[in-house]
Amino acid sequence: MRNFEFLEPRTVPEASRMLADHGETARPLAGGTALLLLMRQRIASPSHLVYLDGVPGLNSIHVDDRNGARIGALTRHSEIEAHPGLRAKYPVIAEMARRVANPQIRNMATIGGNLCYGDPASDPPACFLALGGEVKAVRGSQERVIRLEEFFTDYYETALAPDEILTEVRIPPLPKGSVGVYTRFTTTQAEHRPLVGVGVLLTLEGRDSCREIRVALGAATPIPVRLGKVEEFLRGKRLSAEVLAQASEIAATEIRPPSDFRGSAEYRKDVVRVLVRRAVERALAWAAH
Amino acid sequence: MAKRQIGLRVNGEEHELLVEPRRLLLDALRDDLGLTGTKRGCEEGVCGCCTVLVDGRNVKSCLMLALQAREREITTIEGLKQPDGSLHPIQEAFVQHGALQCGYCTPGFIMTAKALLDHRPPLTEEEVREGLSGNICRCTGYVNIVEAILALSRGGAAAKR
Amino acid sequence: MASGSIIGQPVPQVTAREKVLGEARYVADISLPQMLHARVLRSPHAHARIVKIDAERARALRGVKIVATGADVPAHPWGPIVKEHRILAVEKARFAGEEVAAVVAVDEETALDALELCRVEYEELPAVLDPEEALRPGAPEVHAGTGNLAREIRIERGDVEAGLREADVVHEETYQTSHQYQAYMEPMGTVAAVDASGRLTVWAPTQSIYFTRELVAHAIGIPASQVRVIQTYVGGGFGGKLTEDANSPLCAWLAWRCGRPVRLINTRLDDFQAARVRMPARIRLRMGVKKNGEIVAKDAVIFGDNGAYSGLATEIILVTAFRLDSLYRLKNIRTLARLAYTNKIPTGAFRGFGTPQAAFALDCHLDSLAEMIGMDPVELRRRNAIRQGETSVHGWHMGSCGLTECIDKAAGAIGWKEKRAARRSGAVRRGVGIGCGLHVTANRQLADWDGSTVAIKFNEDGRVNLICGEGEIGQGATTVLSQIAATELGVPLEHVIVTKTPDTDSTPFCFGAFASRVTMLAGNAVIKAAQAARAQLLAIASEKLEVAPEDLTIEDGVIHVVGAPHRKLTVGEACVANIFRRNGEGIFTRATYDAPTVMADKQTFYGNVAPAYSFAAQAVEVEVDTETGQVRVVDVVAADDVGKALNPLAVDGQIHGAVIQGLGYALFEGLAMEGGRLLNGNLADYTLPTAEAIPRVRTILVESNDPNGPYGAKGASETPIVPTAGAVSNAIYNAVGVRITSLPITPEKVLRALKAKGAVA
Repeated sequence: MRNFEFLEPRTVPEASRMLADHGETARPLAGGTALLLLMRQRIASPSHLVYLDGVPGLNSIHVDDRNGARIGALTRHSEIEAHPGLRAKYPVIAEMARRVANPQIRNMATIGGNLCYGDPASDPPACFLALGGEVKAVRGSQERVIRLEEFFTDYYETALAPDEILTEVRIPPLPKGSVGVYTRFTTTQAEHRPLVGVGVLLTLEGRDSCREIRVALGAATPIPVRLGKVEEFLRGKRLSAEVLAQASEIAATEIRPPSDFRGSAEYRKDVVRVLVRRAVERALAWAAH
Repeated sequence: MAKRQIGLRVNGEEHELLVEPRRLLLDALRDDLGLTGTKRGCEEGVCGCCTVLVDGRNVKSCLMLALQAREREITTIEGLKQPDGSLHPIQEAFVQHGALQCGYCTPGFIMTAKALLDHRPPLTEEEVREGLSGNICRCTGYVNIVEAILALSRGGAAAKR
Repeated sequence: MASGSIIGQPVPQVTAREKVLGEARYVADISLPQMLHARVLRSPHAHARIVKIDAERARALRGVKIVATGADVPAHPWGPIVKEHRILAVEKARFAGEEVAAVVAVDEETALDALELCRVEYEELPAVLDPEEALRPGAPEVHAGTGNLAREIRIERGDVEAGLREADVVHEETYQTSHQYQAYMEPMGTVAAVDASGRLTVWAPTQSIYFTRELVAHAIGIPASQVRVIQTYVGGGFGGKLTEDANSPLCAWLAWRCGRPVRLINTRLDDFQAARVRMPARIRLRMGVKKNGEIVAKDAVIFGDNGAYSGLATEIILVTAFRLDSLYRLKNIRTLARLAYTNKIPTGAFRGFGTPQAAFALDCHLDSLAEMIGMDPVELRRRNAIRQGETSVHGWHMGSCGLTECIDKAAGAIGWKEKRAARRSGAVRRGVGIGCGLHVTANRQLADWDGSTVAIKFNEDGRVNLICGEGEIGQGATTVLSQIAATELGVPLEHVIVTKTPDTDSTPFCFGAFASRVTMLAGNAVIKAAQAARAQLLAIASEKLEVAPEDLTIEDGVIHVVGAPHRKLTVGEACVANIFRRNGEGIFTRATYDAPTVMADKQTFYGNVAPAYSFAAQAVEVEVDTETGQVRVVDVVAADDVGKALNPLAVDGQIHGAVIQGLGYALFEGLAMEGGRLLNGNLADYTLPTAEAIPRVRTILVESNDPNGPYGAKGASETPIVPTAGAVSNAIYNAVGVRITSLPITPEKVLRALKAKGAVA
């Protein structure tokens, strides 16, 4: 890779200022598993790296009933997987984190880095999107909160300004009695990156009727999306097999996946159909439990 | 670009290096410290041949800058040999179980095995296989590697050193 | 064999210790004073005229020593057999990935910087990307005047038409196999240096030091003895480091030119393009069987994809054309095989060497035929299996054959009868399938010599150097040969010091590690050399102990009188006694073993080419998700006739690895190309089987005791990769009733077939 200046801010505002000072050619560095790969392939050659791992306070996890879950941007996937509070209150997040990439990557890569990289073939975005997640970002000394529906803008692109730093991922407290499910599909067991990922947050009415549902699709499209038409269709209905079959048809028509050597658009739609149905089925089974 | 003086603690020893910021941990270990046991097998961070331990966790040294490894405990394959020259129990188990053939991926697998055995309670075969998903072997079909780690896991204390 | 013999024991590898310590030296671990680093610029186009290369800015970059192009390379082409490749492309690039320029610089980053400063102007030309289309008149030629035909083979036995008339059913189908990349974990690399006397030393993880020496010397244009090749520890080869890769000739030539040591290590992308991946084959089979299961005719038309330059694919096409005919008692055969040049990555040697391609087609086809006559596929294979003592339709003599036993044991172990009969329902269904394979143990194909020479040199302390150049590539050759030497000599295994870094300056001429030849050929040579050394030891001991040599035995490094262990001499004492006497000398013996085989007739291809043939049967159980098409391998049993397992730990290991490579071939791997450009030349997109993707491989060793093999042993390392893909396709058919006829079997293909079939609920 090409050489660069390695900058070590002590605070988030300082980091943000460093990014502002050096403009488009400066990049923040967290775990480095994505950025260093790009740099080694000379696809990205930043003049300055702003190293975030030295900034204290960015890798803690807090879980409580009032605020929900707050996960620091520099938290590793393996820390998310192991956190007792997340395992207890947000088991779907811990389980999803357990399957991200592979063990070494889980020990190195951060949740903030994952979201900011914007790689579609990734699990956390769709999972968090289904759970109503949002992120906190700091620019200079200004903070803002961005809903995940607005955070991802295109392949490898987010709504962050070049000098804006993601500091925290927030998942609101889940509705009482709701069940979260994240399910992923890889073409073979040897693949680490999902071809399709579906996150579902289901709140039942009675035994098998849908009071509220959120369905998020990841990996199959350039950015993770809420399947609004599917949600609308399912809301208020009894979740029978026919209803689920119809819902999965709607999911397939709602999206326009790409065709590439990993799979044709038609195949991706086929898998989306199946996964949406199975995710809701699983959520239903757990909720009825 | 100006080189930077950094300290790396590798296998219990402190080293002073002069490195460019772009120096990968893998290359610092191999070329600056002469610890060639850790290997490079790909450019995508997939094969796991570059696996070392940082603070006891298995990581891919080809995806880390040397600068990111400062003030951490780095363990490489060279750090496992016992003071009297004998093999670490994991190394011994790999030899006895035929868990290697060409040997190129072996240091990476041994470091991952150490991380697995150090941090988790007795392992099931499924847990072992999942734990190995970041290391690729083309020679062994994984059978004997899994067997060696399961044997160590059953053996308990002997594996932890 | 003495009691307590280590033949047949699961001895750990004699190279294991240095490997687990991280002390084994691979080529990338070598550092020489003043060493420079090279990188290669490759063509992005499948077929293009090289109009201009502007390397001025690259050459001017500080730290750059050489920027070489086709204008600088020797005038004559190089190649393992057919010589048509240039060290760097001259005038034309014939595949996307061909070496166009090379930079030598003080470090890799500078070399990369220099590559980026090279400006190459190309004029794109029409490309041929399919072997059948390449052979049509008027197709753009990859090499002028060839019509894109690299080799054509016609073989006929008996009367195919008569056979087809006799048949109760005839079935025709076309199968297509893929490019599979060897994907050893150690990328290919070379370090080369010229010494003060003008000799060039080449360090490389080559599977054959003498082939590399010949290749490099010829490529540069210097006598072979001016080149010294030293094998570094090989981080996996599988045929891909058998001297087809341009890495060694290029590196050696660069070192030759610049007078300083040069190191050229392939990046993974380099390696994908340079390794000579498995030859894709399109096989149209038409076969007839009688109701009783007898195969009465086999008619095959094969198109092989050579890629842009001929490596060993010209030999591989022959193997695909006829090797498996000797698996069954076939009589009526007609095969036309044509190997075509295409503007794609050149293809070559990979474990199995053309047999896996043929087996995929044959195993799928046999299952279809079995269904048509209402016979169990296992039974169909049993009925036709070749047996010990028989000679095949191509004149291959089965001195030993455990095929039927392999079939029975594999089927039994997987639970064939119950699982085939099981009712299938639901979205996820299981099925079992079988495949069979045969492989040569050594092969008198390349030349009229198929042998090995080894030497044994005793030291004064009684330890013995086993000097052998064949090379260890991870398969355990050095261990097995050490076991043989220790057994024949009566010394402990630890007293055998086997060559770990073959060197053309000091190890005898040999071919190297391929074609599953080393145990058979070098093993037998070791026995001969050891027996000669043993005779010398016993002769001198007989003098010292004043008994006849027949009354002596050697155990654990001690020569003693049979029945009187106190009357003894250590082997070391015998060695010293042999030296220090009139006309004495150190004990140093040498032996050559050449297999008692013939080269196949050049016209008919008839003749017994190998001293033994190994057999395999594999049963695979899969689980198919009918909604996504995803296939999961649940169980695999590999039954292998290895003659005798000299080291079951090593043999099992080879079977495990081969089967997993076979599963990769069946389900996970395949080069993706568009317009001849490689799309997935990295390990993230070319997915190799990981530990969690595959089940435990169950092995069953069948020992048919081959008369030619050392202690009965045959080759064991390639046969197990042969049947896997066919068995998987057959298992999928059993599970869900769809037949996938092309590799790799992707979920998308399975789902498309299921939809077309429509019947699955």
